[in-house]
Amino acid sequence: MPVPTTAPTTESLTTWLAERIALYLTRQPAEIDPDVPLAEYGLDSVAALSLCGDIEDDFDLVIEPTAAWDYPTVHALAGHLMAEFAADTAQGGGA
Amino acid sequence: MLTGTEPESTHATTAATPDGRGAPGQEARAAARVAEVDRRLGDPTDERNELSYARLVEADEAGELCAAGERALDELRLGADFVPGAEGGSLERLDTLVRVMRQVFRRDVALGLGYGVTSFMAAVNVWTSGDAAQRARLARILTDGGKVSVAYHELAHGNDFTRNEFAARPAEEGGYLLSGAKQVINNAGRADAWVLFSRTDPAPGSRSHSVLFVERAGLDTDTWQVLPRYDTVGVRGCHLSGLRFDHTRVPAASLVGAAGQGVDTALRAFQLTRAALPGMAVGTTDTALRTVVCFALGRRLYRRSVMEIPHATATLSGAFVDLLTCDSLSLAATRAVHLLPEQTSVLAAATKYLVPKLLTDTLHDLSIVLGARFYLRDGEHGIFQKHLRDLPVLSLGHAGSAACQATIIPQLSRLARRSWFHDEPAPAELFRPHAELPEIPFDRLALTGGRDGLSATLVAAADTPPAATGEERAVQGLVATLVDELRQVQEASRALAPEDRTALAGPAAFALADRYALLLAASSAIGVRQQALRDGSDAFLADPAWLAAALHRIARRLGRRPAALPASVDARVHEEVLRRFHARGSYDLYDTPLVG
Repeated sequence: MPVPTTAPTTESLTTWLAERIALYLTRQPAEIDPDVPLAEYGLDSVAALSLCGDIEDDFDLVIEPTAAWDYPTVHALAGHLMAEFAADTAQGGGA
Repeated sequence: MLTGTEPESTHATTAATPDGRGAPGQEARAAARVAEVDRRLGDPTDERNELSYARLVEADEAGELCAAGERALDELRLGADFVPGAEGGSLERLDTLVRVMRQVFRRDVALGLGYGVTSFMAAVNVWTSGDAAQRARLARILTDGGKVSVAYHELAHGNDFTRNEFAARPAEEGGYLLSGAKQVINNAGRADAWVLFSRTDPAPGSRSHSVLFVERAGLDTDTWQVLPRYDTVGVRGCHLSGLRFDHTRVPAASLVGAAGQGVDTALRAFQLTRAALPGMAVGTTDTALRTVVCFALGRRLYRRSVMEIPHATATLSGAFVDLLTCDSLSLAATRAVHLLPEQTSVLAAATKYLVPKLLTDTLHDLSIVLGARFYLRDGEHGIFQKHLRDLPVLSLGHAGSAACQATIIPQLSRLARRSWFHDEPAPAELFRPHAELPEIPFDRLALTGGRDGLSATLVAAADTPPAATGEERAVQGLVATLVDELRQVQEASRALAPEDRTALAGPAAFALADRYALLLAASSAIGVRQQALRDGSDAFLADPAWLAAALHRIARRLGRRPAALPASVDARVHEEVLRRFHARGSYDLYDTPLVG
């Protein structure tokens, strides 16, 4: 799965998240409604922790391991990550 | 330096921790407490003792906890051992709690669970996330000899507890209204308080549950009831029942931590119990081994004692070695809670997965030597069948074996990419059974790790100069085999597909978690032996023989075909099995003098 090489946008993050979550759930990305809680698709609490690890690895961004619990849909999580990227860039961390 | 005349402590066991935070005298207090509990419970092989194996088996047959046992533990104020020093109790070190409870577990698993460990499982939630008032209240209950139930379980949902339905709804007048049932809860009917895992939000997900600490006194008795007791295969004396609430009002101050933090609290707090509980049952298997050694020495078959039959001798030595392996992993996991809390999530899960499994396998092997006697419910060997029935309960409960593997599996790929073959080895203090420790840093326990200093101890052990003796060479060869195994686990973990990093992972992912747990056990044993060699305090643990035997058994469990060990290894281990039997020394890392 390609990792975005340019600065992420809400749109690219939404696509990336839907694709990654689809892999976790062995579904098609198109089946993941960005406004439906991930737990409703059967993404368990531990897999949600894994997802946050993937985000850290692929985007080189440190986030709370529970981010996917607190922002439980694709849209909510993408929005949260955009805010984190902005904060990270503002601190000179780069993304 | 003018101040250089200050005398140094010459007593190795009271050396302070490197950061100096440990209270001096920890080890002396630990050893004294272990001896005190053993003395009060008395010689279990003496039938005149009200806490003899014979009486404990009788209580089990009657389906009751041994009353004399409960009385003795009351007198010992065992509840205070579950309360951290900061809260006024005597819990300083988690490895010490394991040693103390081992004295109870070697006599009766039901008493160990039913009197105390259930309360400890409940308590860790409050120690981890409770406020000062809740911690003080809980400390008071436990030090006064009261019990607390840990009420997470709902039969319909098993370890999938984010689906739990038991509800605590905010009441209009403040506080919460409890509705629903909890099932198979130890001491539900006689506890002074319960820790209730409750749904506080109807939405799906991991922020919809909260932990409530609810005291029984003051509840409207018309709105709740204790459900009928369950009959079980083992731990038949335990009071396993359930609770049903129907709009029971509880105060707002019952909430432990913030609303919606229940899953978070559970995953952090239960690292303590996952690390500590399995090692307690080393005492149970110690008794089983002692019982079979006694049998093997006394019984004559084929014109010789059973102890002279090679298969029997090898089985007993293997059982002892496995106990040392289990205790090494238990030691590393419990001390990691103090020293490497950020890494404990995986290590505690591996311990809770592997140790009960190894101990159960050991009991099975021993039962073959005991022959038909293992099937008898009374008489001299009756305790064996009771322990055999009781032990599997440790693999159940809030973290079943599969649930523990499911905690490890999602973290494997990250460990493989970032940690293995990169991380620094674990600190020496992790492997020193008598060394002092800083307080338990409850606030540093993490949901996921990503670092693994323990396996780095294995990797570092491969980098040693050529060995001089056959036994040392055997150890080196086995270390090389296990490092190769870690490399293979790393490759397979890197290749895990995302769907194999969830609770619904395929069987191959579960097998990887099993192999990794065995490698952590091997690393622990290596670390224990290295430190014993350095400290010079325990000649047997410093000897390569037990380590060679332990690693050999682990390698075979991993499907490897290691070269045969030098004959001196078997001889050394066998000699120690007999020595500890006659000297009444415990079959674990401590060689604790036992009253019987």
